[in-house]
Amino acid sequence: MPRSASRVRTHRAVTPWLFLLPGLAVVAVFSLYPVLSTFSKAFTDARTLTGGHWVGTANFRGLLHDEQFWVALRNSLLYVLLVVPFTVLLPLLLALLVQKQIPGVAFFRAAFYTPVVASVVVVSLIWVWMLDDRGLVNGILHVLGAGPVDFLGDSWLLLLSAMALTVWKGLGYYMIVYLAALGNVPRELHEAAAVDGAGPLRRFRSVTVPAVRPTMVLVGALSSVAAFKVFSEVYLVAGPTGGPAGQDTTLVMLVQRTGTGLNGRVGYASAISLVVFAVALLLMLLVLRADRTDRKEKY
Amino acid sequence: MPISRPRVAVASLLVLPLTLTACGSGGDGGGGGSSADGKPEGTITFQTWNLRAKFKDYFDGLVKDFERQNPGVKVKWLDQPAEHYADKLSAEAGGGTLPDVVNVSPDLSFPLAKAGMLTNLDKEKAAARFKGEYTPEAWQGNTLPGLDGSYAFPWYLNTGPLFYNKALFRSSGLDPEKPPKSYEELFATAMTMAEKSGGRTATLANTPSIEDFGRYGVQLMNHDATRFTYNEPKGVELLSKYKELYDRGGLDPQALTNSAEKSGQKFLEQKVAMNPGGAHDLETFKKNAPSLYRELGITDAPNNTGKPNMYVMGLAVNEHSAHKAAAVAFAHFVTAKENQEAFAHKVAVFPSTRGSLDDPYWTADDGTDEGRVRVASAKMLKGAVNYTPVVMSDEMKTVLKNEVAKALQGRKSPRQALDDAAAQSDKLLERG
Repeated sequence: MPRSASRVRTHRAVTPWLFLLPGLAVVAVFSLYPVLSTFSKAFTDARTLTGGHWVGTANFRGLLHDEQFWVALRNSLLYVLLVVPFTVLLPLLLALLVQKQIPGVAFFRAAFYTPVVASVVVVSLIWVWMLDDRGLVNGILHVLGAGPVDFLGDSWLLLLSAMALTVWKGLGYYMIVYLAALGNVPRELHEAAAVDGAGPLRRFRSVTVPAVRPTMVLVGALSSVAAFKVFSEVYLVAGPTGGPAGQDTTLVMLVQRTGTGLNGRVGYASAISLVVFAVALLLMLLVLRADRTDRKEKY
Repeated sequence: MPISRPRVAVASLLVLPLTLTACGSGGDGGGGGSSADGKPEGTITFQTWNLRAKFKDYFDGLVKDFERQNPGVKVKWLDQPAEHYADKLSAEAGGGTLPDVVNVSPDLSFPLAKAGMLTNLDKEKAAARFKGEYTPEAWQGNTLPGLDGSYAFPWYLNTGPLFYNKALFRSSGLDPEKPPKSYEELFATAMTMAEKSGGRTATLANTPSIEDFGRYGVQLMNHDATRFTYNEPKGVELLSKYKELYDRGGLDPQALTNSAEKSGQKFLEQKVAMNPGGAHDLETFKKNAPSLYRELGITDAPNNTGKPNMYVMGLAVNEHSAHKAAAVAFAHFVTAKENQEAFAHKVAVFPSTRGSLDDPYWTADDGTDEGRVRVASAKMLKGAVNYTPVVMSDEMKTVLKNEVAKALQGRKSPRQALDDAAAQSDKLLERG
């Protein structure tokens, strides 16, 4: 075999990797390493300042007897169950409202999008002020002769308040996603349905929903993972202890509480992180699977 | 089977994180740093805790003075925000970048010292010779259980007075000139206020903290700090009284979740009648709540032991410092009598050096509000105790707060709640 042909072959195999190397190095250090490190630490008793020893599945067995873990798992799952339907449907309705090219619609689009660009800290503070025992909402209730409602003192109301905040903050983002999808729905389909006598509701069910269905699945998958990993909103509304008696703690809050600080139980927090990872993956697969089954049944 | 090139590349990438894991774990590792006995020289780092914003000029001057006196030393001053300081320290310690001289409180120095990252000043001749310059209580305040020695030069001390709203006292038929001094008086005051205001005015915004248990006279830990004992009968008694108070509106409805900032805000808005604070709050009251400021009362925090609570700050020296002699010299310089007193004149804190508090600045009331708070607080410092056990981590404090909340909600009896909190904390303590 001529020497030059062999060199060309070597170059072909090696050169692309050389170009990829800087990017791969960044991915390895900042993505792969933390993930692998979490996997390995979940089976150790590592603390913040010590490397730790192999303890097998002790951390996972510990989770089974940790009351706070079950409370956190319940809250995170509740978050998915209650938040996701709203984040799938409300932005779609909002997108339908602002889809039409009428004067002043740009103002409404911008207004609905504003919470998305606002800092979650600022938004949470505003909600806390509104829901305070002497805040705006209770002020209105007082005028109406009702209340006061203990939004920030009752653990269930507190969790629901945080969920409402999450839905409200995400509306604008998903609205934009739906606006893009709605732009691709052929106008002729709507016209044909209208000619056949379909009203607005029927056209929504039979034309719009099937056309934006892949987007709804995408929004469902993204928002379910985001809802399961919720941290900021609950932390800011419920406080660092996770609401009264820690009853509003979510799984990611538990990771933060147990795994950080000078006494952080890194091994234990890593084990909780793996549970979060596994359940989030499962949720994503379930949404995609449900979509596939549904489509098979239809066609 | 020969290994293909792509496979080699992928394998290398998989090995890289494992190599990094090996490098990264365990923090500083290795033995001690340089000798502390030599001539101070080299560049050292000095980290403070949220002091740059208000005291930049003071620290710049301090560093300059030290460098002038020690021409071979360069000091790099770093400052970290108040929030998540412990996380910052743990990242530095884990990454082997803990500053040479670092601002710590005893509960922060405990895990660092246990991991071998701080210098035992009692065992370091170059540092131990300065011991006599500080009050014995302050030096003792930086000794750590099970570690046989003091791990930080005592720096400033603080103790907070309790502010109260005279107008709210008056409207409840209470004498605004006679604030409660003991917990019994506090509970009686709170009950009256709740009753007279129809539950609209709470006296306190927070649930009892570990310092409250301490001031109430509860034995917080066993002698060698290996087991929590706040579930003893006196602790149960305190929590039972708080439960009664909560049920009758003596505590703010959001007391179970209020943070210190939120409580301060509620006091500012005149929703609660009493709140702990410091001299620096006076300026805030003057500016943001003039009507409250006009009716502001200042008293000591209730106490059944005769010993108020004290917060202790210190300057620790990194055991692995490459310039330990310079680090020890600088930490002593910052905490020396003259410099501590100068700092305490700038901010409402108190020096921990021997004899400093006998100065008229801390004993004679100059007629100003700041002066009143200063003198009252300085008086409280005599015999004050740092009630927070140094082995009590943030996670253990959260455990206690959550169990206390369960008792106040009626989900558990006070005894059961404290037993559970102590058991959980003991388990965390056992695991190290």
